[in-house]
Amino acid sequence: MAYKKISIRNKIRRLIMLVSGIVVLMTCFAFFIFEYYSFRESTLQKVSSYGKIISTNSTATLAFESKKDAEEILNALKAEPHIILAAIYDSKGNIFCIYPNNNSFLALPSKPQNSGYYFTNNTLEGFQPIMEDDKRLGTLYLKYDLKTMYSRFQLYGIIVLMILIFAFIISFILSRLLQKGISMPILNLAETAKVVYENKDYSVRATKLSEDEVGYLTDAFNLMLTQIQEQTKTLSEFNQNLEQIVKTRTSELEAANKELESFSYTVSHDLRAPVRSINSYMNIFMEEYGSKVDEEGKRLANTVIKNGAKMGSLIDDLLAFSQLGRKELIMSKISMNDLVLTIWEDLIKMEEGRDIEFNLKPLPEAYAEKSTMRQAWINLLTNALKYSKHREKTIIEVGSEKKDNEIVYYVKDNGAGFDMKYYNKLFGVFQRLHSPEDFEGTGVGLAIVDRVITKHHGKIWAESKVNEGATFYFSLPIVSV
Amino acid sequence: MPLLKNKIVDSFLIIFFAVCFISAQVSVREYKIKAAFLFNFTHFVEWPANSFSTSQSPLVIGILGPNPFGNHLEELIAGESVEKHPLLIKHFSTTDEVDNCHILFINIKDKKTLLSTIEKLKGKNILTVSDVDQFSKLGGMIRLYTKDDKVNIEINLDATKEEDIVVSSKLLKLSEIVKTNK
Repeated sequence: MAYKKISIRNKIRRLIMLVSGIVVLMTCFAFFIFEYYSFRESTLQKVSSYGKIISTNSTATLAFESKKDAEEILNALKAEPHIILAAIYDSKGNIFCIYPNNNSFLALPSKPQNSGYYFTNNTLEGFQPIMEDDKRLGTLYLKYDLKTMYSRFQLYGIIVLMILIFAFIISFILSRLLQKGISMPILNLAETAKVVYENKDYSVRATKLSEDEVGYLTDAFNLMLTQIQEQTKTLSEFNQNLEQIVKTRTSELEAANKELESFSYTVSHDLRAPVRSINSYMNIFMEEYGSKVDEEGKRLANTVIKNGAKMGSLIDDLLAFSQLGRKELIMSKISMNDLVLTIWEDLIKMEEGRDIEFNLKPLPEAYAEKSTMRQAWINLLTNALKYSKHREKTIIEVGSEKKDNEIVYYVKDNGAGFDMKYYNKLFGVFQRLHSPEDFEGTGVGLAIVDRVITKHHGKIWAESKVNEGATFYFSLPIVSV
Repeated sequence: MPLLKNKIVDSFLIIFFAVCFISAQVSVREYKIKAAFLFNFTHFVEWPANSFSTSQSPLVIGILGPNPFGNHLEELIAGESVEKHPLLIKHFSTTDEVDNCHILFINIKDKKTLLSTIEKLKGKNILTVSDVDQFSKLGGMIRLYTKDDKVNIEINLDATKEEDIVVSSKLLKLSEIVKTNK
């Protein structure tokens, strides 16, 4: 895991040092092995040649029992200080002469053994027959001290250690120099990539420093940047185009909407005069000629008057609705409490004889356009009164709730309610969820409320169950003035 | 008194016999070594090629005069050979009998006889050995003498060279080199 976090620079450095360290170690080890065996071999040869020389020279001393000369011959071994013990046995196997002179006989094998040399822990020792022609005259014993070999290996180990340290230092310095050739282009590339993603500048290009795989990567990276740059350019062009199209479409839509609004305003405004004229002339007709018409005539005339009046109120509502779209809102701080209370007192005058309980919770002030907001409250309260008129006791509650950055107002009644599956029709113009026989109305009221609240950048929604009353909510954003 | 005298006589007798016995023992041991030396000379001395008729003809060790070695020499050389030459012992009572011999141990004490013997043996390529005093200085080749209870060697190198006999340097190293007195 930790290895993944190491930078390429360090990885290369480690690689170089590890490889060189292993190579040096292996080489030294091989040399060590070679040295060990060649030293043993050369020591064996040296000792056995000493043995041959001494045994050849000591034949006469054995043959003529000249101990003095034997001692002289053995004393020549002083030239080789590693030979720590030597002895000559006569043909009967008795010790004839010993080297060095002061050595005790105890250290010697009491009888000569099989000829040949063998390695022990710290020595090389063995027996060499002393022959003249084919006649065996005695045996030579030699003991060579190998401690020198081990001290030599100690020296060797120290040299190896020094070489290893030296190799490490050299490889460390070399790796610092060599790794630049590999890591510099990569680091350069990484630096460029960082600039690109930090500044979102796709016009930057990485500099190609080598013709190897990294160079190839740099080329690919630059090519990719070019492609991204082109794509970004195309995309931004496309975006600008799209924005232009949207702008055009929006203004077209706005124009069409305005046209439609002015059309509906004109239509409703222009329709009002003939409808009024029809209504007033029908009233005059009934006043002047009512007595001269039979009952059926009266009924028909009354139907005309009634429908005429209905048409008049439809046109009025439509006019009010279309006017809302054209109206500029003049916002001010208004007291919702006072507004609702005034409206309620006006409305309650027309509801004499009904048992009504009205709960008005204190409402916070709002930043709104007063006349339209008044219209919205009138429509909501009228609806609440209207749809609860069949109840024995009407209960209407008005309240509010402060949220994060908006205030939610609500009007709750215990009236007929509505089926939530028709909810999407609730705020549409001329859309009605109840028959005119049960509840009169034009179907414009909630549409007007919706438009008013939307123009105030608020939201409107409702909750209801059939026969369990309805609650209408609207929210207004809190505006700090 | 006579008792004491007898005792002294007895004691002298015992000492006399003891000395005789010991000296005999010493003499036996000495000749054992000399026999070994005689045998060992065969390894350290080279004769001219013509002194052997064939490559397998025997190397003869001769004894002129009474044999002081007993059986020791015979025991020593039994089954031995030097460079394929089997060893053979011959006994001679007079110098004229001496023939076809390589090493000759001369046990003649009389100086005149000894001198004539040395003179007679010249040209026969015989390595002459003796333990007689002055032997090598009289023209003999190798004298064995006892000193400090050790048998030593004295070599007259001129005499051996004259007879084309080569003595190994290893042997020379152990020996004392002397010249013929003139």
